This record gives sequence, C-alpha cells and structure tokens, in this order.
Amino acid sequence: METNPQSEAVQYGRGADIRHALHLLKRNRIVLAGAIVSVAFVMLALLSGLLVNPSSWNQQNSNVILCWNNPAINWHIINVFNCGGTVYPLGTDLYGRGLLQMIILAIPVDLWIAFEVVASAVIIGVILGGLAAYMGGLVDEIILRVTDIFLAVPGILLAIVLLVVLGRSIPVLTAAVLITWWPFYVRLVRSQVLGEKEKPYVERLHAMGAPGFRILFRHVVPNSIFPVIVQATLDIGAVILTVSALMFIGLTPDPKFPELGNLAKQGIQYLFTAPWLILFPGLTLLFISIGFNLLGDGIRDIFDPRLRR
Amino acid sequence: MRLYEYAIRRLLLMVFVLFGLSLFIFYLTRGLLPPNFAISSYITPRMDDAAKLSVARSMGVATESCPSYSAFVAQQIGCITPLWGQYAGWLKNALTGNWGLTLLPGVSGSDTTWHVFFSRFPYTAELAIAGAILTIVLGIPLGVISATHNNKLPDHISRVISLGGYSVPQFWFGAMLQIVFVLYIRFNGAGLLPGSSALATTCGICFSDPGRITSYSGLPIVDAILSLNFPFFWDSIVALILPAFTLAITSIGAITRIMRSSMMDVLRQDYILLAKSKGLKDRVVIYKHALKNALLPTVTVSGLLAAYLLGGVVIIEIVFSWPGVGNTALVAAEVLDINFLELYVLVTAVIIVLTNLVVDLIYAKLDPRIRY
Repeated sequence: METNPQSEAVQYGRGADIRHALHLLKRNRIVLAGAIVSVAFVMLALLSGLLVNPSSWNQQNSNVILCWNNPAINWHIINVFNCGGTVYPLGTDLYGRGLLQMIILAIPVDLWIAFEVVASAVIIGVILGGLAAYMGGLVDEIILRVTDIFLAVPGILLAIVLLVVLGRSIPVLTAAVLITWWPFYVRLVRSQVLGEKEKPYVERLHAMGAPGFRILFRHVVPNSIFPVIVQATLDIGAVILTVSALMFIGLTPDPKFPELGNLAKQGIQYLFTAPWLILFPGLTLLFISIGFNLLGDGIRDIFDPRLRR
Repeated sequence: MRLYEYAIRRLLLMVFVLFGLSLFIFYLTRGLLPPNFAISSYITPRMDDAAKLSVARSMGVATESCPSYSAFVAQQIGCITPLWGQYAGWLKNALTGNWGLTLLPGVSGSDTTWHVFFSRFPYTAELAIAGAILTIVLGIPLGVISATHNNKLPDHISRVISLGGYSVPQFWFGAMLQIVFVLYIRFNGAGLLPGSSALATTCGICFSDPGRITSYSGLPIVDAILSLNFPFFWDSIVALILPAFTLAITSIGAITRIMRSSMMDVLRQDYILLAKSKGLKDRVVIYKHALKNALLPTVTVSGLLAAYLLGGVVIIEIVFSWPGVGNTALVAAEVLDINFLELYVLVTAVIIVLTNLVVDLIYAKLDPRIRY
C-alpha cells in the first residue's frame, strides 16, 4: 500500500518550524483569513456574556414581534420601520428579541458543543484506534466491527432517536452527535498508528524494554496525531452544521433556546414575510464553518510538505 | 484471497453489522424507557385495561401470565418480558417478514410498516440518486478543472464553490433557494421552480395537470416514462431540482476538493511528464492518463458519500416537504414507532454496506495493485 504522506514530513527544529509556519501563514492569505475568522468567532463567543445579558433569551417582548427598523436594508416585503425607540440592527424574532443579540448568545453555545464533541471524539479515537492498531488481533477485530455498525447508519438518524428517547437537552444532543462521530476518529487514528508503528524507532524502544502502552501513547500516538488535529479543525464546522440541523428540525430543548439552528427554525414559517429571521443565523453558521474549514486546510497546507511549492 | 471470497466475507460481516444495529436500535427504543412508555404510543385513551394489556402482550412486552394492566405498569415481577426475550420475539417476526403495524399519524391502522415504508421509499431513493448524479457530474469536472488551472481564475472559482459547498448549512441553503426561485424569480405568474413536494403543479414551468401514471416501480420518474406520460415526467423532474441540488451541495464541495488534490498529485508524477514529453495533447494526458488514477481517492469516499446522502435526505425532505421516508422517520421517532425506525435503519444500513462492498470491488478493478 502507499505510504502515509504525513510521515514523510521533514523534521525541523521547533523554533525553525514555527518561524517557517508563520512565514507560510503570511504568504497564504486565504489561510490567514480563515485563522482570523475562526479566532474572531472564538473571541466573540468568550465575550458574548459581556456584550449581551446571558438570560435575555428567556424574555419576551410582544410589542416588537417580527419587526425590522434597520434602514440599511429594505426587504420590500413588510418593512415595519417602527419598532418603538430601540434600533434592532438585524430585526427582531417571533418573541420580540433582537436577532443580533440572540446570534451573539448562540455563537458560544454552538462552538462549545462542537468543541466538546470533537475533543471527546479525538480522545476516544486515540485510545481505541491506538489500541486497535497497536495490539492487532482480536482487539482490533472487535473495535473495527463496532465502528462498522456505527458507520453503516446515517448519524443524523441515530441522533434523532437518542434525542427523542433520552429527552431533548444539550447534554443528550452532545452525546448523540458524539455517538455518530467517534468511529471516524478510531479509523483515522488506527490507520495512522498502523503506518507509524512499523518505523525503526519503535523497534528500538521495544529493544530498550519500554512498556508497550508507554511506547504507544508517549511516542507513536504523538507522532501520528497530526492528521487527526487537521481533521478535528475541519470537523468543528461540520459538527456545528449537524447540531444546528438537528435543532432546526425541532429537536431543541426550548423553542426560545439561543442556538443558530433553532433561531433559523423560527424563520422557516416566515420565509417570505420575515426573511432576516433565517438569513442571518444561517450566514453566521456559514461563516463559522468557512473559518474553521479554511483554518484546517491551512494547517494541512502548511505542514504537508507535498503541497509546498 | 480471491475476490469472490472477499465479497462473501464482507457479506457475512454485513449480517453481523445488521444484527448489531438492530440490537442497538432495539435497546435505544425499548431498553431505555420503562416498558409502559415503550408501548404508550400504541395505546389509545379509549381502551380499557384488558385491551391495553393485550396490546402489551401482542408487542411481546408483557408476559402471558401477567394478571392485569396495572400490574404491568407497576412492573410486577414476572409481568414484563426480559429485553432479550422481547428482542428474540421481534427478530423472529422480522425474519419472517412481519414488521408489524405502524403508528404514523395519517396512516390507516391496518397498514403494515413494510407497506408504508416501501410506498414512501422510492421518493427518497429518487432524491438520493439525483443527489449522487449531481455530485458526480458537477464535483469531478470542477475538481479536474481546478487542478489543471492551478491558481488561475477557474481554480479560484471552483475552490470558492467547494469551500462554500461543504461549509453551508443545508437547511439554510434549501430555504434560500426557495426564497430566490419561488418568490423572487417569477415566470408565468408563479415562482420559477416549486418549493415543496415531489410533484409540482404550481410553478412557472410546470404543467398544471400532469395526469396520472401507473405504478410499476414506485419511482415516479421511471413510472412516468413507462406510462409515456411526459407532463408527469417533466413535473417530477422540475420538483426534484431544488431538493436534489440542496442535498448535493455538500458532497459536491467534498468531491471537488478530493478530486482537485488527487489530480494535482497525479499531474506531478513522472509518467505524466513522460506523456507530455512524448508530445501528447494536454487533453489526452489529462483525460486518458491522469484521470483514471486520480479517480481512485474519489471512488474510496463514495461509500461515505452514500451514507452522507441517505442521512442528508432527512433534513432536505423536511425543508422541502418531500414525501419520502426521511421525513416520515422524524415523525416515527417522535411517536416512538419502533417498527418503522428499525426497518428504516436496517434498510439504510443494507444500502450503505452494499455500496461500500461494490466500491471496494470497483477499487480492485481500477487499481490492479490492490489484492484482498
């Protein structure tokens, strides 16, 4: 079989490596943009509690339902320019809450679920995938067959069943998405470790009498983790899209809950009368996802020597 | 190992996968809730306790020796069949083709799960197949163009499409397409394209009275051709445009990206240089020498693609009110219709596992170095 591309990476000193990466980052403007966008969203998520009162999502203001008073855009549909004294830059939603404020509150919710899912999937992947590849035999077979089961069914369906049975809450949602996500990481780590463990240095560690688990988790896994990190970065966007899709089809803990998919859900009935309701939460999702995808692509471009030109 | 031995091994593994999956789904729907919850959707308030108990017995949840419904609800010892017993009963029924009755609202009480599922499944199949065709027809050329025009305008455009494709929330993209093509672009006094349902009769370019077709295969488009009904065929195709494109947008992005990077890898290899230095035209080098090898990574992920499309239809069908099984599955999950969910998950799994098997066999055909 072909050799694993990442294993051919040229080894640099740590300082030189970082300098080189920064140099490539500066040259590659698309990647720089991705890094800026994703860092900006993370910052916004961290500051959201200061920008908007975190409990304001539970309030209701029936006087300003579905109103729009930002003169910058004229929707040619309803155009209620009189929403009382307050200016709502992105209009208001079904409950009379400012859509901009709700989006700001929703960003940390989505990002946090995505970080939890991806981090847990990486941990499970490293442990199970590492063990499967390193021990081989029966352990490998059992772990592979279990991943087979989960890979044979569309994840979104399992997630729907779990959410309905266990109740619609954020922890269940996180667990439901995780259940559909971890097998990919087990497969990925396994294939990386399989390539890495045949290298001479592993044999040397064995000869030195190092214990197997130490070799696996201190040497082999750190040397084969790189593609996993790239995949994890790319998956932040994908997990957010999955979570918001589940919320969008109604598997939400509370109809008012500030989550981007849930905010967009309100808009589907008012597609033709209040398009901002679905437009802006969707755009936010798009930008978050683009940011992390660019960042992931960029990390791969920078560290994959085959793509250097 | 010979190729057919490999195929047989994989088919045996499929049986194991299906068994594991059915066990898992059964546990999710029956094992995690108290027994009376699991059957609660099958009980109507008008039933008396004897009728309720007989429902619980017929579902295999209550034992024959259970004295009364209240004893069943109180989970008296000896009243509730252990989970493995319930599963064994279910499995026996399923293997003999008895998938039970369905609880779906709007379906007559005597309609079997099997019949309901397979009367709606063709719509989903049609959507998924259309999505797969769009993915291949658009994704592969975009990737090739991107690689052959590296860092020029076509490459930039195709990279933006690809990045946007796999970053866009599908439900949102579908809604935006509806706003644009149903509301803003008008034709003949109606929106250009229909925004919902599988048969369009109220849009700018549809026939308002497509007539009827005879059902041969269940697939509306195929049946329309077989019935020689052109208006019906046209209306079905028109209705498919927006949902299929929404479904395919993510996979188009993914395939374009994979195709681009594998094509660039192949174009850098020595045999391509040789082909070029022989004086062959660029077209010949790209389409006869490079494309076949560059397709390999794309073929590998097409198994994942099948899983992706079959999962994605759930969202798309809800956004476009498509009358397929994905739309029904959400309703089935909400009323905990175990029979429907099991059948849906298992049929989907069979399709995905078989696709993966076919993909692996094609892979062995395309790359003679692969030996199983």
